[in-house]
Amino acid sequence: MLSDNEVKILEYLKKVKEDSAENISKQLSIPIETIFSISQLLKEKGYISIEEKKIVKYELTEEGKERLQKGLPEELLINILDGKEAKIQDVKDRLGKDLEIAIGWAKRKGLIKIEKDTIIPLVKHYEAKKEKEALINPENASEEVLKELLSRKFLIKREEKTYRIKLIKEEIEIRPVITFLTPELLASGEWRRYVLRDYNVEAYPPFYPLGRKHFFKEFLERLKDIMRELGFKEYYSDYIEMEFYNFDLLFQAQDHPAREIHDSFSVPGEGKLLDEKLLERVREMHENSWKYKWDRKIAAKLMLRSQTTATTARILASKPTPPLRAFTIGKVFRPDSIDATHLIEFHQLDGLVIEDNFTFRDLLGTLKEIFNRIGIKEIKFKPAYFPFTEPSVEVYGKIEGLGWVEMCGAGLLRPEILKAVEINSSAGAWGIGIDRLAMLLFGLKDIRLLYSTDIEYLRNRKVDINAYD
Amino acid sequence: MPTINVYKWRLLKELQINENTLEDLLFNLKSEMKPIDQDHIEIEINNDRPDLLFVYGIIRSIKGLLKRELGEAKYSVKSTNYLFEVKEVKSRPYALAAIIEGIKLDEELLKELIQFQEKLHITLGRKRKKVAIGIHDLRKIDTKKIIYATVNLDYRFVPLNSSKEMSVKEILEHTEEGREYGGISLFDGKMPAIMQDDGQILSLPPVINSEKSKVETSTTDLFIDVTGTSLDAVISTLDILVTNLAEMGGKIGEVKVLSPYTDKSPILRHDKIRISVEYINRILGTQLQKADLIEYLKMARFDVNDLGNELEVIIPPYRVDILAEIDLVEEVAMTIGYSNLSPSTYKIETIGSLSDRSKITRIIRDLSIGASFTEIFTFVLTSDSLLNDEYVRVINPITADYNAVRNSLIPTMLQFLSKNQHSRMPIRVFEVGEVVVKDEESETGYRNRLNAIYAIMDSRVSFEDLQGPVHYILTSLGLNVEYKREKNYYLIEGRTAGIYSKGKLIGIIGEVKPEILEKVKIKYPVMLSEIYLDEIEKLI
Repeated sequence: MLSDNEVKILEYLKKVKEDSAENISKQLSIPIETIFSISQLLKEKGYISIEEKKIVKYELTEEGKERLQKGLPEELLINILDGKEAKIQDVKDRLGKDLEIAIGWAKRKGLIKIEKDTIIPLVKHYEAKKEKEALINPENASEEVLKELLSRKFLIKREEKTYRIKLIKEEIEIRPVITFLTPELLASGEWRRYVLRDYNVEAYPPFYPLGRKHFFKEFLERLKDIMRELGFKEYYSDYIEMEFYNFDLLFQAQDHPAREIHDSFSVPGEGKLLDEKLLERVREMHENSWKYKWDRKIAAKLMLRSQTTATTARILASKPTPPLRAFTIGKVFRPDSIDATHLIEFHQLDGLVIEDNFTFRDLLGTLKEIFNRIGIKEIKFKPAYFPFTEPSVEVYGKIEGLGWVEMCGAGLLRPEILKAVEINSSAGAWGIGIDRLAMLLFGLKDIRLLYSTDIEYLRNRKVDINAYD
Repeated sequence: MPTINVYKWRLLKELQINENTLEDLLFNLKSEMKPIDQDHIEIEINNDRPDLLFVYGIIRSIKGLLKRELGEAKYSVKSTNYLFEVKEVKSRPYALAAIIEGIKLDEELLKELIQFQEKLHITLGRKRKKVAIGIHDLRKIDTKKIIYATVNLDYRFVPLNSSKEMSVKEILEHTEEGREYGGISLFDGKMPAIMQDDGQILSLPPVINSEKSKVETSTTDLFIDVTGTSLDAVISTLDILVTNLAEMGGKIGEVKVLSPYTDKSPILRHDKIRISVEYINRILGTQLQKADLIEYLKMARFDVNDLGNELEVIIPPYRVDILAEIDLVEEVAMTIGYSNLSPSTYKIETIGSLSDRSKITRIIRDLSIGASFTEIFTFVLTSDSLLNDEYVRVINPITADYNAVRNSLIPTMLQFLSKNQHSRMPIRVFEVGEVVVKDEESETGYRNRLNAIYAIMDSRVSFEDLQGPVHYILTSLGLNVEYKREKNYYLIEGRTAGIYSKGKLIGIIGEVKPEILEKVKIKYPVMLSEIYLDEIEKLI
C-alpha cells in the first residue's frame, strides 16, 4: 500500500535507478524533509536502499576570497621589497595592518629575515602557488596546505551528509492510492487500478450522537407491560382535576388536613360536576359519616391532581362493569421542597380490581405478584390508614443496603364509596410511588437524576442488560 | 402523620415488654417508632387513631394485643357538683367539660399531656378551628359553676406563662398564640371565654389558658373544657381525653351542663355495630370461627355480644375511627397480624391492554430513536416566563421556576438545550410528553394533550436537517404530509412551517427566533418541531 508521494518517488527511481535525495527533491518538487521521511518508509517496505555519505566540504571565507584576488600578505611583502632591504617602518606604510601577518608568514616560509628594524629579503620573487591552488580547488589540496589555510581562516571546513537512494526492488507494480471507493470505481472495475489507503483503525472515532431512549421512561413502560401481562387495562386522565375526583369521591372530608392548601397545588377556576345523582350520593356519604355540611363548590374547585387515585375515582364514577382490572401510570403534583429525595411532580401507579368476592388476601396476593415482577422479591404488609380504603395496608419492600422501604398504599375500597358509585362487587385499589422506587432500583443517590437536564448523563448512562427482566 | 415523643421506660415498664416487641406491636397498630435519645422514642401515629396520641392510649391497645386485658376498658364515672353553663357563642357554639381526679403527674408525663393536647388540636381540632381544649388544675378553680360565654376585648386576665394581667385585645395582638389563633373565633368584637362564676377567666378558647388554673406536676385533679364548631368533634375529643386520663389512673367526674344539646358531660358515647362472621370472612378471604373472631375483637379492646347469627360490637368512646362494619374487619385483620394473612396466589383472568396513548407513545419513541434523537424527560411544571398563549397558572407555587403548567413542550425543551451548550454537538433530542391546554368542552375547562418535540442544536443547523427525520417519522405512520408557511411565537417567520395532514394541523417546524434564544441564553442556532400526537391518533 503506497501513498501518492511514495508512488512518485518509486516511479522516478524506476527511470534513474539511483539518485541523491536532494536531486529527487528538486526533480519531483517535493520538500527534502518529505523525501527523507518517505524514503524511510520505502526502505522499511523494502523498495529502496539508502546510502548515507559524509562529505567534507571546504568553503572560502570572505578573507580567503580577498587574499586570492589581491595576493597573500607575504607575497605582497616580497613584491614591495623587490629584493632590497627596507626599514619595517617604511614597509608598514604600504602594508598597514597586514604587516605583522606578512612578516610572520614570510619569516616562517624563509622568505626574509629581520635584523633590528630592517627586513632583509632572501628571495627576489615569491608566489604562494600551492596555497592559491588550494583555495581554488580545496578538494585536491594536500592536508598540510589545508591545515595552513584553515588556521589562517581563509577556508572553513563543513561536513555534510548526503543520501543516495537506490531502487532495490525491481519487479514492482506501482498503483495509485485512494481513500474512498466510489460507485463509479466499482461499476467500471477501475478500482483494480487503485490501492485503498489504510485507515488509522486503532484510533477512537469522533463523537457520534446516538439516539437513546430515556432510562426512566423505559422503566415506566416496563411497569405498564407488567400490569398488562397481569391482565390489567390501562386508563388515564388529565392533570387538571376537580377536588371531587381527587378527594371527595375518595371519602376525604372537606376539612381533612390532607386537603389543606399546602398539600396540593391549586389552579384557578371551577369545573363542571354533571352527574347530579352521583353528587347527591357523595354528599350523603360525607354528611352521614363525617357529620358536616358537604359543599359542592369545594368539590368543583380545580387543582393539579395530587394522586393518580383521581383516575381510579374517575373509573369508579364511570359505572364500570365488573370484573375489571384497571391501572394507570401518570404524573401527580405535590408542593414540597425539591431536594435529593423530593420532587414536586412524580409518578404513581394506581391499580383497581373490581370483582365479586375480591378479598383482602386476594389484594395482598395481587400486590405481592406486582412487586415480585418489579423485582422486589421480599415484601411485608403493614396496617395503614387511608380515607378511602378499609382494611388498608402499606407495602414495605426490602432494598439491599437500605432495609425496609415503604412503597405502596393499598386497601379494599370502603363500602361507602362503592355504594356511592353503585358498584355491588368488592374492590381493591393501590397506589405505588414510582420515582422513589426507580431511584432505589437504579441505585441513584439523587431523585433529580431521573429528570437530568445534562445530556451527557443521558448519553453516558450504561444500559442495563437486565432492564427487561 | 403526627408523631409523639414518649418517655420510653414508662411504656416498657407498664407493658413489661422489651423494645423489639414494642416495635413489632406498634407496627401492627399502624405505627412506627424510632429512638430520640436514651430515654425517649418518637412514635408515628396514624391520623385515624387520635386515641393513641397519648402513651396510655397506646398502653391500652397493646394490653389487648398481648391478651393482658380483653374487651373494652371500663372506667367508672362519678358525679360531681360542678355545673358548666354554655351561653350563646356564635363563632364557636359547642362546649363540654369534665373532671379528672386523682392523677399523678411528673415532669415527663406533664410534657406528654401537653403534647397530647397539642396533637389533638392539630388532628381532630383542625389546628384549633374545629376543636380546642383547655386543661386546668381543678383545685385552683374557685367556683363550682363555670360558664362558657363571650367577653369584650377589654376584658382582662393573666394569660398562661405570664405574670401580668392583659386585656383580651393585648393577648390577641401581643402573644404568639394570640396572633396565630386569635382570628379563628373572634366575632362581633367578642371572644369566647371559659369563666368562673365570679367572672375570672380560666381560658380564652381557642387561644390560651389563664395562668390562674395552670397545671403543674403537683396537680392531681383536672378540669377540662372542650369547645368547637362541631358538636360531634367536641364530644369525641373530650371522650378521648378523659378515657386516656382514666387509663392513666384518674377518676372521671361528670359535670352538669346547661346547654341546648346535653345536660351532662362527658358523654362517653358508645355505638353498636352488628357484624356477621360470614361478612368478616368474605372480606378477608378467611375461614375464621365465631369464637376466634370474638377473641380478636376483644383483643382489639371491643366488647362483643354474641347474637347468634351476628355479633354486636360495642364501640368505645375513644375509637372515633370506627365508622362501620368494615372498620371492624380491619381491626380483626390487624389483631391477627397482616403477616399472618397469607396472600392468595395471583391468577391472571383477564386480558390486559395498553391505552392508545401508550401505544402511539411507544411507536413515536421507536421511530425517534431510529432517527438518532436522544430522549429527554422534563417536568410538566415550568416557569410562566417562557409560556405563550393560554396556560394554567399555579395559585400556590413553591418557586417561580415552577409556577405554571406547560401548554407546549417548546419551553421545557429550550430550557433543556440552554443547559447543554457545553456538551458535545450536535445535540439531537426529543421528548414525548403531556401538556395542558384549554378545552371548553372538558369538565375542568382544560385537557391534557400528548405532544412530541424534536430539536437539533449545533453551530450550524438547517431546516432540512430536522425536516428530514420529522418528515419520515410522520410518513412512517402512513400520513401524507404537507408544509405550509406559518407564524409561531417561538419560531422565525419565513423559516417556519405548519405540518398538515388531511387538512389538519398536526405540528409545527422551524428555527427558533434569536430573541427567544437570547431570552433563554442559548448561543447556538436551534431547529425544532412540535408534533401533536392527539391529532395524529385521530388520523391513523
